[in-house]
Amino acid sequence: MTSLAEPGTRAAEPAGAPPDRHRNGQRMRRGALRRRSTLVGWSFILPNFLGFALFTLVPVVAAFLLSFMNWDAYNPPTWAGVHNFVRMLNDQSFWVALENTALYALGHVPITLALSLLLALLLNKKLKGIAFFRVAIFFPYISSLVAVAIVWNLLFNPSSGPINQFLHLIGITNPPGWTASTTWALPAVIITSVWKDMGYYMVLFLAGLQAIPQEYYEAASVDGANGWQKFWNVTVPSLRPTTFFVLVMLSISSFKVFDLIFVMTGGGPGRATLVLSQLIYQDGILNGQFGYASAISLALFLIVLVITVFQFRLQQRREN
Amino acid sequence: MKRLTRTLAAVAGVAAAALALAGCAGSAGSSDSSSGGKTLTIAVWDYAETPEFKALFDAFHAANPDITIKPVDVPNAADYESKVTTMLAGGDSTDIITVKNLTDYSGYVAKNQLLSLDDVEKKLPADKLAGLDSYKYKGDYYALPYRTDFSVLFYNKTMFKDAGLADPENLTWDEFAADAAKLTKGSGSSKVYGAYIHTWNSLVQGIAAAQNGKDLTNPSYGYLKDQYDLMLKMQKAGDIIDFGDATSQSLAYQTVFETGQAAMVPMGTWLIAPLLADENAGKTNVDWGIAPLPQIESGQPIVTDGGPTGFGINKASKNVDLAKKFIEFAASEKGAEAVASIGIVPSYSSDTITQKYFSLKGMPQDALSKKAFAPDKVVPDLPVNPNSAAVNTVLNEEHQLIMTGSKSVDAGIKEMEQRVKSEALNQ
Repeated sequence: MTSLAEPGTRAAEPAGAPPDRHRNGQRMRRGALRRRSTLVGWSFILPNFLGFALFTLVPVVAAFLLSFMNWDAYNPPTWAGVHNFVRMLNDQSFWVALENTALYALGHVPITLALSLLLALLLNKKLKGIAFFRVAIFFPYISSLVAVAIVWNLLFNPSSGPINQFLHLIGITNPPGWTASTTWALPAVIITSVWKDMGYYMVLFLAGLQAIPQEYYEAASVDGANGWQKFWNVTVPSLRPTTFFVLVMLSISSFKVFDLIFVMTGGGPGRATLVLSQLIYQDGILNGQFGYASAISLALFLIVLVITVFQFRLQQRREN
Repeated sequence: MKRLTRTLAAVAGVAAAALALAGCAGSAGSSDSSSGGKTLTIAVWDYAETPEFKALFDAFHAANPDITIKPVDVPNAADYESKVTTMLAGGDSTDIITVKNLTDYSGYVAKNQLLSLDDVEKKLPADKLAGLDSYKYKGDYYALPYRTDFSVLFYNKTMFKDAGLADPENLTWDEFAADAAKLTKGSGSSKVYGAYIHTWNSLVQGIAAAQNGKDLTNPSYGYLKDQYDLMLKMQKAGDIIDFGDATSQSLAYQTVFETGQAAMVPMGTWLIAPLLADENAGKTNVDWGIAPLPQIESGQPIVTDGGPTGFGINKASKNVDLAKKFIEFAASEKGAEAVASIGIVPSYSSDTITQKYFSLKGMPQDALSKKAFAPDKVVPDLPVNPNSAAVNTVLNEEHQLIMTGSKSVDAGIKEMEQRVKSEALNQ
């Protein structure tokens, strides 16, 4: 318990305390104290750090090294130099997967962002039964991903699915083939993922909205601002930290997408919904080429890194 | 100081606990001998749902009471190969690896994970073991078969009778299509289809390659055109279930056949055991039979695609002699009796085994079904080749494009040839 109280003790010491004869002894004691509290601090994060190091850090470093080697996961790896990267740049599937991943992100990020913000605005009212609607919107997020994928697949069934039957009903004679069509498979996947994710981001926006002081809106009303002006000049700037967080999280998760697409279309038809994560899985786990798969995962890592850094820079510039 | 020591001790304790936790993941299959007898470990998938393993292990134990078999169960058959690869990479010493199919076998052999079994192979009756040849890789055998499956035509006898059609004996693919058209009736959700071609690429490509005497790892696929044209024609006419509908519903071929949604289903003989089980459990009352797979021309020997399931010995095994004894048993007549008793087609074939097989409760008894059970030639979908997994990925992607109408047959075949060359073979 003493150790927990120590930082407070230190902070309470006046900054420019006059020197006294005990100072040397005190310094020694303080050194020992600091060492001890450092050790205690380390011991607190050690269990978590060990897990992180063993299961994340080491594999990440290993993947980086492996991308310069050929390895089948069984025999000793052999040095390959930049071969894997050259192969990647010449691999048509890599470019197809990169394009699909980018298109997925371009669809998924803005639509989810807009819809979750809209829902948060709608549900940030004091209405009877508002809790029910909030739960209803959040529900897809906590349902099993595999179940979601299978049910949406049934909804998207090209001939007997409810979606196309509805489209027939309203007079569209040639509705899209959805997951059975190379043009519509990616939109189908995006629709499903937006539906599944928007509840979660809506909760984040709701929290952000409720943190905006009511006085801002009152002041704006006094100034004669209408609803739209209040939204644009009060809500949007006040929500900026939340929006930034949501944007970064959404972008990262879009580039890493795997599970939903894997269950819904398996990357098909053909390669119409093949994304980078699945290509990594395919080349590594299925075809046993872990060096090549590591090279692709390194490329994916760099792409995500560049995008995130870019977003942080943009945010910083806006703040300045 | 005292406190410091205590802190250090706590740190050390946490570290030790974490390391111990991490260490637990290491050992999966040990070959310790318990209670005096000898123990043999065998990697299998879905032990509870795959009764052939227990049947085989019990039979072996009955013949060798001093040897106990301990299954190393890998739940979820679809992940079996990648999990076994991970186990082997971690230095696991499970004695025997069940080899699920030839593509997996290619992987194990390419990685040099299995022991040569040439000495055991010499003791086996090669002429009676279907699928044995498929395991020959550069002159050596690294696995030996205990069961062999091949494609046959499952058909619904009631629907054939109702349509006034003769049983599908010696069909050509064109006759198959004509029968399917006559068997199709109704519309909407009550529509009954003449046939169901499951979404696997092997059901078009594998069969066409086998019947044309071609090799799918050789990127020249002109011979696939006729089969694709036929399938697309049937799909357009609505005589088979649409490919896109089947994928979006994750349609199960067993359900399609058992509920009478389709009259004919070309499928592997592995469907027999679950059909018998469902029949005996009262889950279906479909009156079914099997017929030889339709051929390109009539009057030719019956050629079908298929392959063995077998056992290989892990290089890290410490019980090699025991393991060889088991593998020899599994390929023998005794092993065949054990698996045949639960409706699995054993590799070892003899009149006695066929008789036993057809005396199972619920098996069709007609001559056509018996004839279908003995095709003239069984050819693997994909030969043993280190690239076969990568080749299959490309072939399957193009298969989806052709079957969903996203690409013409010619363009699809051309793309297959180019991509197999550049993406699968030249790496």
